[in-house]
Amino acid sequence: MRDTVIEIQDVNTTLGGKAIHRGVSLNVQRGEVIALIGGSGTGKSVLLREIIGLSPPDSGSIKVLGEAVWQIKPARLGSLRTRFGVLFQDGALFSSMSVEHNIATPLREHTQLPLSECVRLARLKLALVGLPPDVATKQPSELSGGMRKRVALARALALDPELLFLDEPTSGLDPISARAFDRLIRLLSDSLGLTVFLVTHDLDTLFSIIDRVIVLSDGRVLGEGSIDRLRGIDDPWLTEYFSTRTGRVQEEG
Amino acid sequence: MTVLASGDWVVHNPDMVRPPARPAGNFTALDGSGLTALDTAGAWKLLDVLRAGDEPLSASGGAPSLEFRNFKPQHLSILRLVAQHFAVTQADATRHPASIRAVLGRGALTFWQHVLGLLNFVGQLTFELATLTRHPGRYRWRELGAQTQAIFINAIPISIALIFLLGVVFAYLMGVQAQKYGANIFVVDGVAMAICRELSPVILAILVAGRTGAAITAQLGTMKVTEEIDAITTLGLSPYAVLVVPRLIALQIALPLLVFLGDIAGVLGGMMVAEQQLDISPAMFFDRLDNILDMKTVLVGLGKAPVFALFIGLIACRMGFAVKRDAQSVGVNTTSTVVQSIVAVIVLNAIFAVIFVRLGI
Repeated sequence: MRDTVIEIQDVNTTLGGKAIHRGVSLNVQRGEVIALIGGSGTGKSVLLREIIGLSPPDSGSIKVLGEAVWQIKPARLGSLRTRFGVLFQDGALFSSMSVEHNIATPLREHTQLPLSECVRLARLKLALVGLPPDVATKQPSELSGGMRKRVALARALALDPELLFLDEPTSGLDPISARAFDRLIRLLSDSLGLTVFLVTHDLDTLFSIIDRVIVLSDGRVLGEGSIDRLRGIDDPWLTEYFSTRTGRVQEEG
Repeated sequence: MTVLASGDWVVHNPDMVRPPARPAGNFTALDGSGLTALDTAGAWKLLDVLRAGDEPLSASGGAPSLEFRNFKPQHLSILRLVAQHFAVTQADATRHPASIRAVLGRGALTFWQHVLGLLNFVGQLTFELATLTRHPGRYRWRELGAQTQAIFINAIPISIALIFLLGVVFAYLMGVQAQKYGANIFVVDGVAMAICRELSPVILAILVAGRTGAAITAQLGTMKVTEEIDAITTLGLSPYAVLVVPRLIALQIALPLLVFLGDIAGVLGGMMVAEQQLDISPAMFFDRLDNILDMKTVLVGLGKAPVFALFIGLIACRMGFAVKRDAQSVGVNTTSTVVQSIVAVIVLNAIFAVIFVRLGI
């Protein structure tokens, strides 16, 4: 029962007179954990914003869960958005609300559940992302960076999405927290049957939890597949990118 | 006995609000063969329905111990995960409204902290000013120029327009009364005194409090949030010398000058009405003005301006530094700056009025 949840065809984007995407096409199947990598300025985050309907591409088609994001009416886009969750780079928690109300917000907006049940569900999500119950009533400003990310992940999971977008999930975390966060994402994607699409620079994330990697370079998809397959591609950026890790792998081996 | 679960137990199912009642009797197993869809919210609801119904909610209340049968593998993993974390959702989740005493106490404490904070700020600032006098090279002339432009130059049009219209309205309303007594010429006295002594300083101080005070707090507050102020400190610079002092001095320059321009604009507004409505020619107006408006009145008005400016600047900078590291705090403190500044201006003006009356000025 494999179906395509993200379908991107021939997307072109120009920002500030510079061509960012020149015919990007890619597909993501249900249940996959996909990483989008590429050097700085190759338009990874821009592509992510286009997929989740925040900034439009110049041309091309983007379909998420079978809906063409940039063609459907705003109301349809709104209901499509309840079917995927987004984790922004810095968490983007609402600073005026406690942690549990941050997570309960999407539930209150999009379901008819009473507030007390929304809060109970929020606490469940908080436990799912591995945070202790006493975090629930804290304010986001009282949390460490790693905890904020987990709370943001819990909020992204609030509506039990089929699809999860993560923008640099491990940036700004120490290596131990980052690996724990990786494992958490894999655990949740396996047990909840989530499709995960993440933008990352973190090689350790790639090596530990990713099913398939897509490389964006020079406005196009340079290659995709397993890491071993990507190592075979002759590209200066990719070679250098993987070489930053090779030394450590040999040390460990 | 086995309970059979069926249908869509997902968060988007509208029937989630009206879950079925707990089946009667004792049961030991849950059969999931009829489930068509299940997510974590649905799994939680399912367990919540099956939780021993009469038991009160408690933090220790765990998931009902059941044997899960005939579940699809993906449903089973979700259900297991939720059952494992079920207990935390059973703690009391209702919020208790704060008592009136707590609200009052918190308010009083906040007020006291404001007072202490301002005192601390003034102390720090005095110290920094002393250092700055010994090392004048550290002073930021460029920043002073930029701030003076923002606080003074850019505020000139609005200030002139504001006080001009105030002069027009004031002269018009007073003229209506004065005409009844044939006392047209006294409108000149009224407008000149009111504008120069009270209206121009107070109204422009309130304008600057809203315009500049809010801007200062918002800017310093945002710099606090983005750690720019910490960066300034670690570069060996003093945030007081770099940020606060130029703003305070710019305010000292700007407000008296704005009040002076306001005086002129207000009197001109009064003159326009006097000519149109009361048949007082500009020549007569100026003649009368020369007789009744002595230097003292103008200086009283201009002399209040630096004091207002000092308080606005201190409050705005101090509230900017007091911002916590979140967006809401920037908004709260900016509002607080405007409120505190306006209150300060009005209270100070009242104190000035009493002092001047006592001194016979």
